[in-house]
Amino acid sequence: MSRSISTESRMQTHFIALAVFVSIFAAARADDTFAVPESVTKVLAGRCLDCHSGDSPEGDVRLDTIEQLELADRLDLLNRAQEQLFLGRMPPEDAEQPTMTQRAVLADWLSQELRRFKASKLEQKLQKPEFGNYIDHDKLFSGEFKDLPGFTWNRRWLISEYIFNAKFQRILQSNAKARRNGTNVSVFGSHRINQLSLTNPFLLPTRSGVRYYANTDLTGGHLSSMLTNAQKTSGYMTDYLVKRNAKYLPAVTAIMAMENEHNLKLATRRQFLNDFIARLCEEYYDAENQALLPKFVPVQLKEVEALAEGETYKKAPFHVAQNMLTGLEGETTVYQALMDPAHEDKSDEDFRKLCERIWFYFGDHERKIQGRMTILRDYMPDIRDNLAKNSRKFKRLVYKPLADDEMQVIQASIRKHRRPGDHYVAIIDRCMTEWEREFQQQRIEAGPPSDELLSELVEQLMVLILERSPSAEDADEYLALSKSYVQKLGNLKAIQKLIQTLILSSEFAYRPEFGSGEPDEHGRRIMSPRDASYAIAYALTDQSPDEELVEAAETGRLTTREDYKRELTRILQKRDVYYLIDPILTDSNYQDNTTDTAIRKLRFFREFFGYPKAITIFKDEKRFGGDRFGNAMSRLLNETDRLVEHILERDEHVFEELLTTEEFFVYHDGDNERMQAASDRIKRIYDHFKDTDWQNFKKEDLLDHRDFLKEVKMRSVDPDKLEARNRQGTTIQLFKKSMETITARLDRGQKEAAPFDLYRGYGNDFMSGYNVAKFFNISLDSWDYQTVQPAKVANRRGLLTHPAWLIAHSQNTETDPVIRGKWVRENLLAGWVPDVPISVDAVIPEDHNRTLRDRLASATETDYCWKCHKHMNPLGYAFERYDDFGRYREEEELEYPDKLVKAGPEQRGNHLIETRDTYETLPVDSIGHLVGTGDDSLDGDVDGAMDLAERLGKSRRVRQSIIRHAFRYFMGRNERLSDSKTLIDAEQEYIESNGSFDAVIVSLLTSDSFIYRKAIEN
Amino acid sequence: MINRRDFLATSVLGAGAMALAPSFNQSFAAAGANAHPKRFIFIRKSSGIRPLEIALRDFSEKDKALDEKKEPLEADLDKHELPKWLRGLDAYKEHMTILQGLSAKMSENVHWSFSSVMGCFKSNRNTLSAIKRTTVDFELAKLFPSPFGHVELSFADGRTGIVDGYSAPAPQTRNYCYADPETARDELFKSVLNPEAVSSDNDMLSFLQSREGLKISGVSGHEKKRQEMHIQSIDAIRERNRRLIELSGSIAEHLPEISEVHADGGRNASTPEKQAAMTDILVAAMVAGLANVVTYTIDDLGTPITGLPGNETDRVGIHPLGHDEAFGGVPAWKTREQIRISHVNQIRTIIEKLKLVPEGDGTMFDNTMIMYFPENGETHHGVGSESPFLIMAGSNCNLNISGRYIRLPYLGNEGHKTLGNWYTTLLNAHGNPIEHYGDLDPEMSRKKLPQTGSITRFLA
Repeated sequence: MSRSISTESRMQTHFIALAVFVSIFAAARADDTFAVPESVTKVLAGRCLDCHSGDSPEGDVRLDTIEQLELADRLDLLNRAQEQLFLGRMPPEDAEQPTMTQRAVLADWLSQELRRFKASKLEQKLQKPEFGNYIDHDKLFSGEFKDLPGFTWNRRWLISEYIFNAKFQRILQSNAKARRNGTNVSVFGSHRINQLSLTNPFLLPTRSGVRYYANTDLTGGHLSSMLTNAQKTSGYMTDYLVKRNAKYLPAVTAIMAMENEHNLKLATRRQFLNDFIARLCEEYYDAENQALLPKFVPVQLKEVEALAEGETYKKAPFHVAQNMLTGLEGETTVYQALMDPAHEDKSDEDFRKLCERIWFYFGDHERKIQGRMTILRDYMPDIRDNLAKNSRKFKRLVYKPLADDEMQVIQASIRKHRRPGDHYVAIIDRCMTEWEREFQQQRIEAGPPSDELLSELVEQLMVLILERSPSAEDADEYLALSKSYVQKLGNLKAIQKLIQTLILSSEFAYRPEFGSGEPDEHGRRIMSPRDASYAIAYALTDQSPDEELVEAAETGRLTTREDYKRELTRILQKRDVYYLIDPILTDSNYQDNTTDTAIRKLRFFREFFGYPKAITIFKDEKRFGGDRFGNAMSRLLNETDRLVEHILERDEHVFEELLTTEEFFVYHDGDNERMQAASDRIKRIYDHFKDTDWQNFKKEDLLDHRDFLKEVKMRSVDPDKLEARNRQGTTIQLFKKSMETITARLDRGQKEAAPFDLYRGYGNDFMSGYNVAKFFNISLDSWDYQTVQPAKVANRRGLLTHPAWLIAHSQNTETDPVIRGKWVRENLLAGWVPDVPISVDAVIPEDHNRTLRDRLASATETDYCWKCHKHMNPLGYAFERYDDFGRYREEEELEYPDKLVKAGPEQRGNHLIETRDTYETLPVDSIGHLVGTGDDSLDGDVDGAMDLAERLGKSRRVRQSIIRHAFRYFMGRNERLSDSKTLIDAEQEYIESNGSFDAVIVSLLTSDSFIYRKAIEN
Repeated sequence: MINRRDFLATSVLGAGAMALAPSFNQSFAAAGANAHPKRFIFIRKSSGIRPLEIALRDFSEKDKALDEKKEPLEADLDKHELPKWLRGLDAYKEHMTILQGLSAKMSENVHWSFSSVMGCFKSNRNTLSAIKRTTVDFELAKLFPSPFGHVELSFADGRTGIVDGYSAPAPQTRNYCYADPETARDELFKSVLNPEAVSSDNDMLSFLQSREGLKISGVSGHEKKRQEMHIQSIDAIRERNRRLIELSGSIAEHLPEISEVHADGGRNASTPEKQAAMTDILVAAMVAGLANVVTYTIDDLGTPITGLPGNETDRVGIHPLGHDEAFGGVPAWKTREQIRISHVNQIRTIIEKLKLVPEGDGTMFDNTMIMYFPENGETHHGVGSESPFLIMAGSNCNLNISGRYIRLPYLGNEGHKTLGNWYTTLLNAHGNPIEHYGDLDPEMSRKKLPQTGSITRFLA
């Protein structure tokens, strides 16, 4: 086996070398004529046509008629041939093999033909992370290519969804908060940005494995979304942030100073007039005022008709009417008038008339007045009552004139614009129009902003948005652009347009990674210090470089391998910044979801194992057996993160620990003391009441335990409020409900009490997600809770037996041995599985009398299918001891109606109930087979997933495979043979550091592959 | 019908084009090859449609029993009298389908469904990350591209201006909507009403294009290609703006007029006035060729309602009405019925107006399908066990359902169909061969009942 792989890999190397050579040759031929060269014909005839010719060719692949094929079909055939040849799958193992030269001839020709039309799918695949394993594993770690100089091409890497969020959070000064150890902390990583609904066009694929790669290009779709984002952002910056903080963009404040002053003055005048115009007019016009007002016309309200016989009528409650009064903008008038001593003796009828006249003379729309008057007609006593009960909420508006000069302006303007019969609002509108015109004229006379001010604007915006000062050339260009915008759009819109322009530049969307300085003998240059600072920052976090990194770049201390190491180590050790681990969990109302570990370190394992996908698998609560599945799932993911973080924090034998740990978190927030205290409290309650006849308590009996209850504070059980009740029951009922669950947690000899809710009610009285226990086969009523965690859990070993991973690699209602096996093959054994042929539409047959494994075997173990499935199924079968919820099992339930033994009860407000149905079962067969570790002592039959995990944890190939994935994750590209030294060094560092993942990261990010960049050749 | 392989090959273009569509910068989706595209109008209503409300009142005893027991049945609408609130559509029974028995448990229910009723996923109280897939309206819009691709209109929550919508052009992406008639008119007909806005965008794009162009000379290989793509992307948006300006003459012919009462968001406009104006704009946008798919949230629980017959001078709230709490002395059920009648009046107007527009050998309505449905299932606090649909489809509709009352087997029974099946049917019938659209129903899964794919007997 190993000999065979070695031969294949040599051919791959040869092929790659040839492909580079051929590309130059191929470029010379651009015509679309096609003829198979004689040298190729000879190889085909000797090695291929025996099987792939005639009317019934093998695999329906026919090579003898290739010259007659249309272009699309020809390219399709050539692509299939190229991939088969590259992967060493053709000719088949049992056939006579072509010589090295013959292989080279074929490879050369295939590459040349496909490159003529830029149609090589293999070359495209080799750029994608999911095909990274196509590069031969043994070769990479053999040492044979250790001397090839490592480098990455100069490139720009499109920002990720996380960097997008971080950029806008920074620009918009968004301060997200999350819960951490019981307190609110500021966090990076939220995707809620100041309530602005921005569209993130850089979302990453949701698959397991490496998701963020440098091979994505910005498209029209990205740009179009960014256009809308830029518009929203610019408006928010100028209309809110600048006004809130004068230091935010001082140039904008300066440019807008006059306009802002005018707007403030206008707003003040309008508000003043809205509040007091009636009073002012009475003052200015005295007795004449009434004559100048329009003739009062009352609104007509629809008559209330008598109900038909038998008809019932339930009047909408007052709070609904109150909200409507607010919506109709009538609340202020009503409550102000009610608070005015001049009206305190008015009857309801007179009060309504008063309000109606106020609204009429002001000029409110008839429909609004009708709506308000209906409410006053139907709810007047409630309104008075509301004021009496909530008097502190309402503040009386007291007349206070503006400054004398302002009052003179207002008086003059009112006198100038008032016409007989005017509603007050008409006078206000005319005054406002005049003042707006005057102010606009003043601004025109003041002229456009100076060049100096606009240059300051450009400087400040570039620093804020692009995080750099403009070059001299930038400064000139953007100044000219700003002047042009000002001329066409006016100041405010010009500033907004300039912001939009910067956000839409490619510099905002891409992170550059270019070499600078003198090239070495291999043509490589070390990354420029500024680019390096971003590359390091974005390797470990989603944020721009921190202050230390910026300073290092600016002071020439980011130019050597040691400099990189210093900064990387510093950031990895940093613990004073908090990151939101998963915004999706926050969206699910799961707040306790933070880490102080450099987020991309933790995220690597999240993505590598792919367990966050579990939240997207739609699950049936009835089959789960308990309620609030969403909460349980959120906690499950959070506790998986906590476990990974725990292992990373210890940083010893990280890979082995992740694969074989027997200790897990189950309903535990990581604070052992808090969990112990919670358990102790429940034990105390149990001890206090266990010998009493609490089941038959009357409510008054609680008073005998008043002091105790006051001290322990049982949820909703207040001995001073015996008559209280909520939706779940009265005080005494809730006491008994709580005692039932408390008793269940301790009456079977449990040493500690699981601290879940005392009874099932709205919200949670301790921590949400208590049903997380069910994933681990733990029943809430017999849970011997571990207050100190992580702790050993039965039948689990490593993340591959963690319910989160198992669910993420399952279907909605069944396990999926294929997808589980494929994951192990590709992620841990550096292997690959061919693409699913498009003609395959495999369906696992339904059979009520067979297990899933049995049915799957019948569908996939035929010769044709087994060629691919042999790489997956034997690995996936080992996980059959866990169902699609990740629960351990030895029997598989046949979940068919005709196999139902007992229907489970419905959830009726008791979280101790197990709601699952019971079905007939068959024994689970979890014997699997491991091939591909390259170690005979590990390969072979495996007895279930725990055995498999144990073997994988010991495998060198598994270690190397994880390092290969880490390489892709941190470099954003697939490994090449010239990265051989980087990978070998990283593995060596891991071994020498006693299994430190930090050491692997530092090794990778100080390698030639990372620090050296090379100019792309056309 | 194209096969899966062909579709996968072509849908890449479709997806790219659609990414440009949900923009207020008048982007163009790829030009449609179809001379007479199909058009779809999704009208979302709140507070449920109770299955009994939409059931026929003059069923035979046998059919009545079947309907009440929620067992499958079909009836010819032409032989029956429609419920009172649907009678505004009496003249169009031949185009009507009353579809009962679909379930919507895989979407969010109770008071609101947000994006989920059109995407068949749980929307987790309208959080962005829960938007699992492109909603069905956007999927249809990909099949029938137009300058705006897709338009969303909404009266939800009494908002005005351009605000968040419920449709989703892509996973974890929220569409925008026009929340009052004036905004809808201004934005949809911007190239006519405000060409300066388009022009200022073009100035910016021109600057960006020239700056990015300068960078090409310094790069090579893939970076050069990448830079070229960036410039092409800018150019594509400019080109779309240019085409829109070019088309502005013909668009102007369809510019709808709206009354003064709709100024500043129409705070004083009555509900019937608002609905009528929005309907005018909806029809005008379709007739002008600006969009082939419109999603219209005609109300939600926060929409203030005024001016309805019976409550002419009252303001009423849909949420209290759903709890049987009433206003102005009118029982809640009567006001709820008036609300539905106001919706039906809009549907009738749309049909009438589209029937006046010649298209091919017939009219524009022939190629139009209107779907009126509750956003949250079968009642005010829906649980999704039922989700009645009223469908009005023109003669060229690709489905064989018109003129019938159809009750499908109830949830959890053999032959039951979910919202996912219904949307799969719509997509399959119009060129998207997706095997199944949306999440699956847990009860059907638990009972091992088949639940994927289209409702084949509906396919013409």
